Amino acid sequence: MNPLIAAVLVLMLGAALCLLPVSNYWRAGFGLASQVLATALVWLAVVPVLLGAPERFVEMPWGYPIGALHFRLNALGAFFLSWSLPMTLLGGIYAVGYLRKYFNSTRHMGVHFGLLNMISLSFVLVYTGEHAVTFLMGWEVAALSAWLLVIWDYTNQKVRFAGFNYLVSTHIGLIFLVAAFMILYAQTQSWYLDDWGAWMSQHPGTIRNTVFLLLLTSFGLKSAFFPFHSWLPRAHAAAPANVSALMSGVIHKAGLFALLHFLLIQGRPDAWMGWALLAFSITSAVIGGLYTVGQRDLKRLLGYSSTENVGIAGIGFGIGTLGLAWDVPNLAALGFAGGMLHILNHAFFKCQLFYAAGCVYQAKHGVDIERLGGLAKLMPITALSFLIGGIAISALPPFNGFASEFLIYSGLFTGDAISVWAKLLLAGVATLLAFVGAVSALSITRAYGVIFMGKSRDDTLPDGVEPSGWMLAPLLIHTAGTVLLGLMPVLGLMLVAAPTRLFLHALPDVAAQQAMQGVHDVLGRVSLVSVAVAGLIVLTWAAVWLLRRGLRQPALASGPTWGCGYTAGSARVQYTGNSFSTEFAHRYTGVMTLLKRQKAPLGYFPEDAYVVTDCVDAVERRLYNVIGHGDESASQISQLMHEDDPRLAFALGLAAVVAISALVVLAEGALP
Amino acid sequence: MTVFWQLTLAHMAVTLVMPFLLVGVINRTKSWWAARKGPGLWQSFHDLRRLLRKRPVVSNTATPLFRLGAYVVLVCALAAMAFVPLLGQFAPLSFAHDFVAVAYILGLARLVLMLSAMDVGSPFEGMGAAREAMFGAFAEPALFLLLGTLSAATGLSSFADMLGHLHNTSYYALVVLPLALALLILLQTEAARVPVDDPSTHLELTMIHEVMILDHSGPELAAMQYAAGLKMTLYAGLIATLLNPLDPLSAPLAAVTVAVGLMLGVAVVVGCFESLMARLPLPWVTRYVWLAGWLVAFAALAVGVAGGGL
Repeated sequence: MNPLIAAVLVLMLGAALCLLPVSNYWRAGFGLASQVLATALVWLAVVPVLLGAPERFVEMPWGYPIGALHFRLNALGAFFLSWSLPMTLLGGIYAVGYLRKYFNSTRHMGVHFGLLNMISLSFVLVYTGEHAVTFLMGWEVAALSAWLLVIWDYTNQKVRFAGFNYLVSTHIGLIFLVAAFMILYAQTQSWYLDDWGAWMSQHPGTIRNTVFLLLLTSFGLKSAFFPFHSWLPRAHAAAPANVSALMSGVIHKAGLFALLHFLLIQGRPDAWMGWALLAFSITSAVIGGLYTVGQRDLKRLLGYSSTENVGIAGIGFGIGTLGLAWDVPNLAALGFAGGMLHILNHAFFKCQLFYAAGCVYQAKHGVDIERLGGLAKLMPITALSFLIGGIAISALPPFNGFASEFLIYSGLFTGDAISVWAKLLLAGVATLLAFVGAVSALSITRAYGVIFMGKSRDDTLPDGVEPSGWMLAPLLIHTAGTVLLGLMPVLGLMLVAAPTRLFLHALPDVAAQQAMQGVHDVLGRVSLVSVAVAGLIVLTWAAVWLLRRGLRQPALASGPTWGCGYTAGSARVQYTGNSFSTEFAHRYTGVMTLLKRQKAPLGYFPEDAYVVTDCVDAVERRLYNVIGHGDESASQISQLMHEDDPRLAFALGLAAVVAISALVVLAEGALP
Repeated sequence: MTVFWQLTLAHMAVTLVMPFLLVGVINRTKSWWAARKGPGLWQSFHDLRRLLRKRPVVSNTATPLFRLGAYVVLVCALAAMAFVPLLGQFAPLSFAHDFVAVAYILGLARLVLMLSAMDVGSPFEGMGAAREAMFGAFAEPALFLLLGTLSAATGLSSFADMLGHLHNTSYYALVVLPLALALLILLQTEAARVPVDDPSTHLELTMIHEVMILDHSGPELAAMQYAAGLKMTLYAGLIATLLNPLDPLSAPLAAVTVAVGLMLGVAVVVGCFESLMARLPLPWVTRYVWLAGWLVAFAALAVGVAGGGL
């Protein structure tokens, strides 16, 4: 039997077993065991395809009106499957530690693990499905399961609201997706994605452009590109840490997969598509980056940084699209390989950061950074993992973010023969990308510095302790991946090479081979830089340590922090997250909405005084303002109308007839 | 010995010695304007030796990252210098887009420097770190736009080739002045000199770089100060290479002499700035750093119009 079908059956069986009336431990065990088995089965199918075996194709007969179901595992789907399933499994393992206290309660834990199985199942459907119905089915299964996972703490009204917000947003995306699918179906009379691709590659023009924009909007919503991101920070802050990690690192990559898939099948793209993708992505990267600066809630901060990082991956795809449009194989290879490698890297370090945030949450019952501090001494493993993830997310050597961004920069500073203005425009994008890197370094310094360094700011919270092995193991596996892919990015290229080759299929074999060799060489040099930096740091530290021992110098003197003459400082005088970011954030009030509530101290013996600054989402605020206005005007109109007035019914009926006939006329009888 | 190895040795020597010499020249320039005798040229070298002998005092709030950080900053600054053209169109290590590696290795140094500052839980050092992060976020894009402009103007891809080859292109006369001025502003920002920051101030509320290393002492302080000197050498070297008309591979001795002379000239200019103007108020500093970006954007437009038409 095909291992992928076996994996789907195993996952469904596991999900069913999770619901059995046995103890919560058994349910979690069934869920995890089926995930392990499914991961192994999927790897069995995926690894050969990634290493160059021909793609797998399965046809399943199905009844009218759907017709036979087609599943095709090509290198692109294989790449996404190769890490999506194991990372979901790690998320399940983390959940065992994170939700430990519910295991002996009356709470039904099987639902959580069953939903994780459904998430894995949706990956198989979306990443291999070639029939529009299975594709949409997988898409919906992922959306609904993610929604149910987010509202774990459903008794909390805020969590329910965040979940509802997500549910509505993801379905608005679905509307755009279905619209694009309807157009394509009307043109081809076929449900198969490869037929659509064949049609699109033969008919460039207005319809293909419309489809591209509709798909970009839909996939942008799924992957939380700006300005479609407003659901994301709420959902990530509300969900349990393992769910936030999976949503940000793994589940939302489905949007990028679908974008890549359609870029792949639509044939040679137009240059404007590349530029549009670049503009859309760099806007996401810059604004997502800026929003990370002002957040108080660590998980919201990490959520916004997802918007930033899908933007960075999107820049890679934009470069790749331009390369295909201009027939520059180097550019196409660098762009797509860089973008996909960034997806992989982001999955590693983003889950890692969310897991570390979950460890902090479990110890301190909160992730408001202004109330934390000094955790590095109490939770050294968590702190080190967070730091490594933070350096990686700022794209700094020697960790993995550097490798993928270096590829993207290599594309942006291309030496290929393109016009001077195009080069300067790409240099402009590189400039903004450098800004994004510096801003994320600022956010990470702020987050790590305030949470893990200094002294604890709030003594009423419990002490920090390292979490159990169930939580540390996934965290450390992700950390190891981040380090390994940083020092040896060629390992990442092994996964990315085959899908990148797919994008170059229209080019002559020699040119494609050379372009891939170019990517390989770039990553080899990145590897040298990373290893050299890491090695020099280790050697220098060893030399300093040995020298100090060899010279038999007296032990280090230790003393209080220099207080500039003031000796009665308390933990509350430390620099806070808000004071760290306020000077910078106030320069971008056009983008970020900073709400300030304050009560100034009054009189000689003031009793109560406070100042609270909240960085709220400008898009969401604007959206609610508009909806609020819409609500008001709707109620005004309804007051003017009388429902029992027959003229109203006639008018509406007439409008409906006109709209339907207009649609029929506009469709030019294209429908069968 | 081939020219490559001779130049590599010269590059190493310049890298190691210049941080002291540049500070010495700046201080002598300042004392010349003030009609004082001033400290000797090698004073900062003697200061460094003195610091190396001292036993460090570490805050009891700090984690091990605090001490490690100083050496990471030093190592990163040294590693970055290997790719930087100081002596004209030459760098010991050079490959396509190596400038991205330089910028990001220095970015790692900046991140670790800021974290070391946050590590002691002091109100002042966090302030310095926040300012460093902000001005870094404004300076780094200017540097990348400059590199992109060079890449578009020369069609080359390594740092040394792009910067050293620019004077052979037709764009040189158009862009040399804005680029040199932009690099000078970046030097003053990154190496914490007047008018962005005042290295000799004694008021914590106005400092940027010095306030971040308030708690460092002994060898760690020496590492931090030397790393700051290296950063100044880096930018002075970039300006020197931009202005240096000689090719080091064909005329090594002359090119190295001119490069060293130009770097010392940059130090004199920096010293004149420090003698003749005060440090800018903080809100103005941002605009001053932005000025570098505008200058580079002007150069980029000039390259676009001259090379691609309108």
